[in-house]
Amino acid sequence: MARDILVLVEHSDGELDSIGSQLLAIGSRLSREMKTKLVAAAIGYQMENVVNALRCHPIDRVLVVDNPDLSLAGAEVQAHVFAEMARQIDPGLVLMGYSLVGMELAPAVASKLGVNALTNCVNLEVRDHALTVTRPVFDGTMHAEIALEENGTTVVALQKGSPIATIPSAKQAVVQTIPIDVNSIPSRSRVLQIIEEARGDVDLGKAELIVAVGRGIGDKDKIRFTAELAEALGGVLACSRPVVDVGWMPRECQVGASGKSVAPKVYVACGISGAIQHLAGMRDSKRIIAINKDRNAPIFQVAHIGVVGDLFEIIPALTKAAQASRTR
Amino acid sequence: MNIVVCCKAVPGLVTDLEVGADGTSLRYQGQLLAINECDEYALEEALDLKRKHGGQITAISMGNIKALDILYYALAKGADKAVRVDCETHDPRVASTVLAAALRKLDFDLVLTGTQSRDTLGGQVGIATANLLQMPFSYAVVAVEVCENNTVKARKELGGGRYADIELMFPALLCVQTGIQPLTFVPPARRIRARQQPVVSLSLADLGLQAEQLAPRGYRFVGIRPPEHMHQIELLEGSPQEIAIALLKRIQKSL
Repeated sequence: MARDILVLVEHSDGELDSIGSQLLAIGSRLSREMKTKLVAAAIGYQMENVVNALRCHPIDRVLVVDNPDLSLAGAEVQAHVFAEMARQIDPGLVLMGYSLVGMELAPAVASKLGVNALTNCVNLEVRDHALTVTRPVFDGTMHAEIALEENGTTVVALQKGSPIATIPSAKQAVVQTIPIDVNSIPSRSRVLQIIEEARGDVDLGKAELIVAVGRGIGDKDKIRFTAELAEALGGVLACSRPVVDVGWMPRECQVGASGKSVAPKVYVACGISGAIQHLAGMRDSKRIIAINKDRNAPIFQVAHIGVVGDLFEIIPALTKAAQASRTR
Repeated sequence: MNIVVCCKAVPGLVTDLEVGADGTSLRYQGQLLAINECDEYALEEALDLKRKHGGQITAISMGNIKALDILYYALAKGADKAVRVDCETHDPRVASTVLAAALRKLDFDLVLTGTQSRDTLGGQVGIATANLLQMPFSYAVVAVEVCENNTVKARKELGGGRYADIELMFPALLCVQTGIQPLTFVPPARRIRARQQPVVSLSLADLGLQAEQLAPRGYRFVGIRPPEHMHQIELLEGSPQEIAIALLKRIQKSL
């Protein structure tokens, strides 16, 4: 029998993060296929609600470290605790989310365990009897498939995908509290405060139509073309990270992993190449329209409708058509 | 305050990207290497900290002789010293082992690097290196402030518009996000002059590392291919006016 699968769970305000449920669903499928046990590990303070939420999933064991020193613990301490929990069960696979938390923890946990981490993965499945991950390379224009060796331990950090339904199970997880003296973990950093960004005037999350502009627009002055299009379509203007980085639009308009996650009825991506971080924030949109001059741009992987062409020909024509349709 | 900036040389403008005959490698036109974008932002942040607090900046890169180009670029931008580690690897565990050994030879208070490289998109080497050197670290840093008592305050992204302020003791390693500072332009004359500056070259033997320590293990590449589309995509063609009318019809239908 293969060794256990350990899922490191993220949570906030006593609830599992959506990526946590996704990881448990994937872990559960793999544990059935590989005939192995599924173990979840959660750390924090006042963990009752999280533990109860975990009981609803088909897990064999839940490991918990519940300690007031973990309420504002930094990544050094969290990685230490997770690595210690992993050592206790010696899993074949450590599964975590490729969220901003996972991006920081996955390499640290793997390095502490002296094992490989495969980050940024978009798929994990058993293929030809081997656990195989798929992950993007080269700005997401290619996907590499990597098979894991059976004997080792590997940390796999999976990108957030579409929600996966949890299969109900009669399994009753055994909950086990792990005594770890968190206070004595060597740490040379500490969390000073958590900051919520002030909301802007526009609530992107509520918009039904978003026109998003990317670096392909080329020039700050030309953003007005997309602003006019957004207005003509009755939508809201947003942007991808590079547009904020160069100071063409404010941070609160940014869609993506570090900015806002949106799922409008229509998302019009203008000159956005489709970096993974951007796709993470918009791929659940109902209808995605991509206008880009590069037909290999990753944005076309998620688009329903694509136009390969010049923004400065298509956008003004579309604006004009929308304005004409409004006045009719 | 001395800062080391870890910068990776990545393929610059790539055209005609295709899968090689073996099915597990990539072939492309365009052999010029460029500094990885978020590492360039790390360098800009280092230059800003140097302006405020003084000290020296050392740019370090791992790679073959072609990686020299980006080190000259870093020198032209204002780095004081440059080090090339003669090692080519795409394995994060190997890369962090080598980088940690190289950093042990340098004098620094702060190590800055980017969040991930555009070719492997792994985002591991910085943090793994910090762990090997038992240094505190922060990822996705959007602001850096050097404080008294040999500490640095970093604001890092938590996603969804949330941030955390972290205090780290020196020596510390920060993986910075794009946009932390504006990118500055380097006049060509300065880039040419920079090529006359020396670059220290370290071999694996200089670092006391054996080749067998540095073999990737535990996984194998089984294939590489263009990503599948999530759904059927409808590609619109025609004149801009025809496309506009077709697009508008589909937008209105979806609302």
